[in-house]
Amino acid sequence: MDPLLYVFDLIVFIGIFGIVSLSLNLEFGFAGLANFGKVAFFLIGAYTYALLSQIGLPFYLCLIAGGLISAIFGLLVSLPALRLRADYLAIAVLAFGEILRLIVKSEDWLAGGDWGITVSSAISLAGASHRVDALVNIALVYFCLFICFTVAQLLANSPYGRAMRAIREDEIAAETLGKSRAKFKAQALMLGSAMAGVAGGLYAQYLHCVLPGMFMPMITFTVWIMVLLGGPANNWGALLGAALVEIFDRGTNIVKDYFVLPIDPSNLQYILFGALIIFVLLYRPHGLLKESSIKTKALRLAYNGRRSIKNKRS
Amino acid sequence: MEDALLRIREVSKHFGGVYAVNGVSLDITHGGVCGLVGPNGSGKTTLFNTILGLHRPDQGEIYFHGECINNLAPHQIYELGLVNAFQLPRLFYDLSVLDNMLVAARGHQGDRLFNSLFLRRRWQEQEKGLIEEALDILELVELDKWVSSPAGELSGGQRKLLEVARGLMAKPTLLLLDEPAAGINPVLGKKIFQKLADFSHNGITFFVVEHRLEILFEFASWVYVMDKGRIAIAGQPQNIIGDPTFYTIYLGEE
Repeated sequence: MDPLLYVFDLIVFIGIFGIVSLSLNLEFGFAGLANFGKVAFFLIGAYTYALLSQIGLPFYLCLIAGGLISAIFGLLVSLPALRLRADYLAIAVLAFGEILRLIVKSEDWLAGGDWGITVSSAISLAGASHRVDALVNIALVYFCLFICFTVAQLLANSPYGRAMRAIREDEIAAETLGKSRAKFKAQALMLGSAMAGVAGGLYAQYLHCVLPGMFMPMITFTVWIMVLLGGPANNWGALLGAALVEIFDRGTNIVKDYFVLPIDPSNLQYILFGALIIFVLLYRPHGLLKESSIKTKALRLAYNGRRSIKNKRS
Repeated sequence: MEDALLRIREVSKHFGGVYAVNGVSLDITHGGVCGLVGPNGSGKTTLFNTILGLHRPDQGEIYFHGECINNLAPHQIYELGLVNAFQLPRLFYDLSVLDNMLVAARGHQGDRLFNSLFLRRRWQEQEKGLIEEALDILELVELDKWVSSPAGELSGGQRKLLEVARGLMAKPTLLLLDEPAAGINPVLGKKIFQKLADFSHNGITFFVVEHRLEILFEFASWVYVMDKGRIAIAGQPQNIIGDPTFYTIYLGEE
């Protein structure tokens, strides 16, 4: 196989999972919500994309619809989930993801059951080579990533993001300072789910199919490793984590194609991922990049030019 | 007492079989400093938490500006202008001192999701003004050198000061202060009370729990003494000092 295609494939995967990683970072890193059901919203986006593209909707509408429907589910999940404590929330959404996967697996009429749905390419250029196809995919994925990253950065550096972090730090104190935790958490879950939904649509489109087996709980844990490794509450960290984990993940798959090993490295991966989580939490609990501070124009003036502000006033 | 700012009527709150607050009624009028004293475990903090909406009262009613606030969530009570500074500081330790102050800012346009993404101009100007206010308050409590440090790096006493400063930042009409001078050196403690008195001229009313009676009695215009979940005595500080029951409550039975 063309070695360049491996690289392109890796780049696409980093982009798609970069979006999911950003979305979990928004929920967990900034708002402190332990969403262990990330894969559920990824699945919703992917299946929405697949079902809608089957009836002939253009790809961008399928992507947007995937994001919206995923956001609605995020809101629905947030309603009971916000009454739960962090650890119970984690269990509840984890179960939600598995239930959803089992539904699409067993309801053949809905989504093809175990056989899944075949998805056609978003943009198919007549007679284009695999390389050009891959480049088109990269452009599409990174366009979406750019939008998600911009949104995440704008939120992180705004009073809204400050309120989210305050709720993460101490939700009782934030609540007595006028921040409705129910509202902020619901919005964080909605936004995060929307991003994960878009990423799911891109995933379906790129792999040309959706199968229940593509949405195992392991996806959630992989995304958690990305965020924990890169550094929670740092959007660059979320991207860095996604890149490192994907290089490792796709890398072992490539190695598998070239070398005959006595064991399947994909299975070894799970062990290594487990070890990696323990290692990161023990030795770098804040991840590779530390939490980004809030940067607004006014704050920058206050931190740097404090004296000049004061002099102007007096 | 028609125009009482805060009116509490027969409020009780129990945990299991223990009545932490047992039929408390009191009124707080506009302006000045009102004190609440009593031995440890007499229910002062539980009363505060009940007023704030962190506990729902088992019985009785709480009125703020004549409106019953029994069933409001804490963030709605904040919106009405009732704010609290906790006894054990509950700061946002990973955020900077200035960010801690700005979380408390009232009516920040950027607190809304839509504004934070699409109307950035609108709140950025506002934030400049809010920062000026925050710096003024931080200067009062001598924290202006630490504006950009994480709140987690402050010492115990400084955390306490930031907790009080954050309460002031919220521009309340009534600020509940739970032992603002505890753990702070006497000179600064007294200074804080002087500043509070200044703020009370600007329309903030204070309801203060404090064990440093000599400071509290100097500034308070009315004092409630709580014992075993009830209001035992109430009156002007000079009358409280002269009341023998007060000594029994504080120093124990003979």
